[in-house]
Amino acid sequence: MLAVVWVAGCAERDGVTRLTFSGSALGPEAVLMRRQLARFGERHPGVRVELRVTPDAADQRHQLYVQWLNARAPEPDVLQLDVIWTAEFAGAGWILPFDADAPDVADFLPAALAPARWRGALYGVPWFVDLGLLYWRTDLLPGPPQSLAGLRDAARRVQDAGIVRFGLVWQGARYEGLVTVFLEHLGAFGGGILDARGRVVVDEPAAIRALSFMCDAIGPGGFVPSSVLTWQEEQTRFAFQNGDSVMMRNWPYAWTLLQDEAESRVANRFAVAPLPAADEGRPSAALGGAQLAVNAWTANRGLAWELVRFLTAPEQMLERARLAGQLPARRSLYDTGRLEQALPIPIDQVRRLLDAAVPRPVTPVYSELSEILQVWLHRALSGQQTPSTALHEAAREMRMLLARAGLTPEEQVP
Amino acid sequence: VTRRRSGIEREEVRLAGWLVAPALVLILLGSLVPITATVWEALHGRDLRLPWLGRPLVGLGNFGEAAGDPRFSAALARTVTFAVVTVPLELALGLALALVMHAACRGRAIVRLAVLIPWAVPTVVAALVWRFMFDAQAGVVTAPLRDLGVVGERFDWFVHPLAAWVPIAAADVWKTTPFVSILLLAGLQTIDPELHEAARMDGAGAVRRFVTITLPLLMPALVVAAAFRMLDALRLFDLAYVMTGGGPGTATEPLSLYAFIVLMQRLRVGYGSALSVIVFLLTFGFALIWVRALGRSLVGERT
Repeated sequence: MLAVVWVAGCAERDGVTRLTFSGSALGPEAVLMRRQLARFGERHPGVRVELRVTPDAADQRHQLYVQWLNARAPEPDVLQLDVIWTAEFAGAGWILPFDADAPDVADFLPAALAPARWRGALYGVPWFVDLGLLYWRTDLLPGPPQSLAGLRDAARRVQDAGIVRFGLVWQGARYEGLVTVFLEHLGAFGGGILDARGRVVVDEPAAIRALSFMCDAIGPGGFVPSSVLTWQEEQTRFAFQNGDSVMMRNWPYAWTLLQDEAESRVANRFAVAPLPAADEGRPSAALGGAQLAVNAWTANRGLAWELVRFLTAPEQMLERARLAGQLPARRSLYDTGRLEQALPIPIDQVRRLLDAAVPRPVTPVYSELSEILQVWLHRALSGQQTPSTALHEAAREMRMLLARAGLTPEEQVP
Repeated sequence: VTRRRSGIEREEVRLAGWLVAPALVLILLGSLVPITATVWEALHGRDLRLPWLGRPLVGLGNFGEAAGDPRFSAALARTVTFAVVTVPLELALGLALALVMHAACRGRAIVRLAVLIPWAVPTVVAALVWRFMFDAQAGVVTAPLRDLGVVGERFDWFVHPLAAWVPIAAADVWKTTPFVSILLLAGLQTIDPELHEAARMDGAGAVRRFVTITLPLLMPALVVAAAFRMLDALRLFDLAYVMTGGGPGTATEPLSLYAFIVLMQRLRVGYGSALSVIVFLLTFGFALIWVRALGRSLVGERT
C-alpha cells in the first residue's frame, strides 16, 4: 500500500521532491540559474529543482510550452513567460492565478504588473524588464534628440554629411520586434493599439501619423535604410557597432556588447534615452521582459509558489542584474545604491527610461493581434499600401478577431 | 492479351497478399489516420487560445472562411504561379544537363557527381546560402549589380514584393534541377542507340533526331519528372520560410506557410487544418489529373 502511494507521487523519488523550472539558460543566465536553483534547494531540504532548458527563440519556446500545457503535462512546474504570453496562458487555463497567498506586488513596476493580470487576477510575477532604448552617438550629436522632429533633423544632417551611412536603424522585419518599434512611435504621437477598455484604436489619426513618420523615414530622402525591413535586433546592432549609424533602437542587452572594444567601434561613444515624442505624445519605451508563472497541472503547487517568490525576491533580482545585466522589476531597487554597482547602464539613464515604459495590449489573442499588425505595418513600410489603408485594414481584422474570440468590449457589440 | 493464371500462380498471389499486408497496415496507420484526423479537425472550430469557445462542429465553415479570406486566395495564386514558372525552367535546364551527362564520355562519373551536389545540400542550408548571396550589402549577386548601376545604392531584394521572389526561385531551380536531370538521364539511357544510328544513316540532323526520336521517347520520364516537381512546388514552404518569412508584407507567402502560421502561431487548429486539407487536395487533385490525362495516354501508346 505504502509502495503504491510512493510510486503514485511521480515527482517524489527516493524521498526527494523534484521541481522543474523552464526558461532561458544561455551563457551567464545558465550559471545564474544553476546557482539560484541550488540555493533554493539548500533552503528546502528534500527538494531538488531541475532546470529544463528550452529554446531561446521566443517562437520556438512558445510552441513548446503550448504543446506541454495543452497536453496537461504537470512539468515544468514553474515557467518563464514572455510578458505578452501571460494573458493567453491565463485565458486558456494553463497557469494558476495567485490566490490568497499572492505576494505583495506594491513594489513592482506598474507597467510590468499590467501584463501579469488577466480579468482582475494576478497570474504572473514580474521577474525582469526589458525596455526599447534609443542608442545615440555621443561623438556625433550634442545630446539626445528632444523631439521626433529633432531626431529626424539630426539623423539627416549627419547622414547627408557623409559621416555615417544611416541616420537611424530599427527592427523592421515582419516579427514581434516591429510591433515594439511601432508602439514607441505610437506613444510618441499619443496613439495606441487598444485603449483602456480594450477597443481597437490603431486606425485613429495619431496612429496614422506615427506610421507615416516611419514610412517617410524609410522612403526616398529618409534616414532609415529600407533594409531594416529584413533586420532583427542583431543586424541593427552590427550596423551601429560598426559605426554605420547615428542612432539605433534596441534593447538593453546590446549595451555590454557595444562596450566591448575588441568588437565594437563605438565603445564609450554612445548613451541611451527613450525615443523622443512629437508635440502630441510622450517619450515611449516598449516594455518587454519576463514573468514567472505556475503550471496549472503542477503536482507541487505550494512549493512552486515558493520558488516563484524566491526567484523574484530582491536578492535574486540584484544578482540577476549583476550577472546577466537584466533590469529588476522591483521599483525600490532603483533607489538603493546597490543596483548602481550591478548594472552596466548608468542608473540615471535607466530611471528616465522606466518612466517612459509602455506595455503592449493585454489580451489572450495578443499574438494573433500582433501578427495582423506586423503584416499590415510591413506592407505599408515596403510601399505596398498607404499608412492609412494599412491601419484601417489592420483595425478591421483586429475587430473581427476580437469579436470571434468573444472579447469585444460591450459597447461595441452590434 | 490476357493470360490465364495457373493454380501455382494463384497460390503465389495469395502469398504475396499476406507478405504485403504488414506494409499496408503501416501505410494505413502512417498516412490514413493522420489525414482522417486532420479532416475531422477541419470540420470543427477549435482555437487553443480560446478554450471557452469549445470545439463546435462547423461543417464546411472553415472552408467557407478560406474562400472569403484574401490572404488565403493570394497565397493560393502565388503558390500556383510559382509552380508554373519554376517547373518548366527546371525541366528545360534538367534536360540540358541530362543531355550533357549522356553525351559525356570522359569523366562521366565526376560530371554526374558534380551535378548532384545541389540536390544533396539540405534545403535550409541552401536557403541560407542563397539569402546571403542576395544580401543587400555583401551579397555576391547584389554587389556587382550595384557597382554596374543596374540596381540603386540602397536596393534590397527582400524589401520589394516582386524582387523578393527572385532569390527564392533561383534557389529552387538550383536545388532541384539535378533531380530532374537524373530522372531524365535514366530515360535517355533507355533509348536504343540504334534508332539514332538509323536516323543518321537516313540523313537526319541532330535537331531532327532530338525532336523526332529523343523527345517522344523521353516523354514518360518528362511526365514523371514534371509531376514530382509540381507536387513539390505546390507545397513550397522551407525556402520562403527561411529566406523571406513570407515578406515583405505577405508578398512571398505560399499556401503552406500561411497554413503553418494559422496552425502553429495563431493556434487555430480548425481553420489551420482546413488550410492543410486544401493544400493536400490541391496536390492530390493535381497528381490524379496529371496521371490520368498524361500518364495513361503515354502508357497506352507503348502497349
